Amino acid sequence: MPAWVVVFGVTVGYLLASLIVGLVSGRRASRGPEGYIAGDRSLGFVLMYFIMGASIFSAFSFLGGPGWAYSRGAAAFYILSYATVGLVPWYAYGPRVARLGRRFGYVTQAELFAHRFKSRWLSATLALISLVAFLPYLVLQMQGAGYVFNVVTEGRIPHWLGAAIAYGVVLIYVLASGVMGVGWTNTFQGVFMMVLAWGLGLYLPYRLYGGVAPMFQELAAAVPEMLAPPGLDGVGSRWSWGGYSSAIAVSAIGFSLWPHYFMKIYTARSERVLKKTIIFYPTFQVFLIPIIFIGFSGILRYRDVIPADAILPTILMSMDLPAFLVGLFCAGALAASMSTGDALLHASGSIMVRDFVCVLSPRALSESEQTRLIRVLVLVISAFAYYFAVVSDLSLVALLLLAYGFLVQIAPVLIATFYWARATPQGVLSGLAIGCSVVVLVYSVPVLQWQQIQPGIFGLAANIITLVLVSLLTAPMDEAHVEQFVVS
Amino acid sequence: MRSAPRFFSRRLTARERLAYGAATFWFAAVSAALVWPLYVPFARVRPFVLGVPFALAFLTGVLVASFAAGVALYRWESRRGFLDQDVSE
Repeated sequence: MPAWVVVFGVTVGYLLASLIVGLVSGRRASRGPEGYIAGDRSLGFVLMYFIMGASIFSAFSFLGGPGWAYSRGAAAFYILSYATVGLVPWYAYGPRVARLGRRFGYVTQAELFAHRFKSRWLSATLALISLVAFLPYLVLQMQGAGYVFNVVTEGRIPHWLGAAIAYGVVLIYVLASGVMGVGWTNTFQGVFMMVLAWGLGLYLPYRLYGGVAPMFQELAAAVPEMLAPPGLDGVGSRWSWGGYSSAIAVSAIGFSLWPHYFMKIYTARSERVLKKTIIFYPTFQVFLIPIIFIGFSGILRYRDVIPADAILPTILMSMDLPAFLVGLFCAGALAASMSTGDALLHASGSIMVRDFVCVLSPRALSESEQTRLIRVLVLVISAFAYYFAVVSDLSLVALLLLAYGFLVQIAPVLIATFYWARATPQGVLSGLAIGCSVVVLVYSVPVLQWQQIQPGIFGLAANIITLVLVSLLTAPMDEAHVEQFVVS
Repeated sequence: MRSAPRFFSRRLTARERLAYGAATFWFAAVSAALVWPLYVPFARVRPFVLGVPFALAFLTGVLVASFAAGVALYRWESRRGFLDQDVSE
């Protein structure tokens, strides 16, 4: 039997297993938006842990992480750094968000902020920011899935068909099972990814250098600049500390604010479950260490691989490994893509209905109408993302950086919600508008990026100043209303 | 069992203020240790620690220490019965 048939068979087997897990798991949730979006607020520790872990580890981690270590050396350490502290803020405000969600029936991030500031325009603005942040991320996941299929079939399945197959499966379980489907498939996919990452991360250095320690010793002798932070930038020059540090700062701040993660706070069964998930989260991060090893293992043995993200498949295809093992790798890369893509699709449909359509619609939508509309929008958004994934030539990585800059602008809104009673709707809305405008300006005029600092940091400074000034210049909100939210 | 206290609340007892203050300081210090300028002295290749460059070993150590501090805070709250409630108001 040709090797590609075995590889393809393993990949299809993985897809079928994901589909079965996703379909079976949705049977226990109720039919309304609370069941579809928040799993009836009943998720336990294991499910929460894997939802948070696996939905963060995307095609970027599995293919892009080794690519960064291979082409930019120690610059890749930034991924490990921001993930270490990224979820910590949840420990302070997460339980409060969960309690307010249960009390007022929130299932999205913007519902909380819009209620606190009594502003439907804030809700609509946050929905649009979320969509802008989600789309390039989702498109990258689809492209990753198409790429994997193309590689495993030695070019017999084109990218467009591979992406369609993988995301056809995702659509079926997201539409049928909502967050429960996302949760259980992420558990399955998360275990799969961890085993595979550690297996490859230890095996490749052993096979190519005799072990992890000999690999780093050889690298230190030949290319020491690759091992010392901040590593290299995108064109191979020394990266600045400003670029490295601000990349960590922007990513760490944005990490806990991604609307599709934030929504998962509402799904926790209890404070114990939520806090245990946050505390154990770094144990999932350890998975990034072997991912970085994989990239380093290619530096001296596989020179000039372009694009750098292809380093892992390039190594595997050149090693004469059993076809079954190669198939497992391909399934792992698909798992990374799908476990992020499903959470993004589920959240984007939910957010657009609850935070945009519902608040701007002249009449209230019933629960069944909302759930139906979420499913329709999941289909529309996936079709839109699919178009960009297989047809458009737009620079997605550039768009993703812009999206992160926008996302960080939500941080002052969150702090004002819980810790500053004097904040007003005019303050947070104008802060968001100015912050996002500054991000676009600094991004568009690179000369403004002093010390290669990320545009999101400049936007954040402008956002905070505007929020404070405009809030102080406008009438304070009703004290009794604000007291329900602000920590006193 | 009592309701879990809130971070940065004015209603904390002295012991709670100390515990949450220490946790906040610790996580702020950990965050600062990952970026310029505190990370610079540790951003070195040698000495190797368990076979990996010092800069990577340092980050791994920070991750482990951060996890340990989180577990300590969680256990402290658990012993005081702050966690045994659902998330209803």
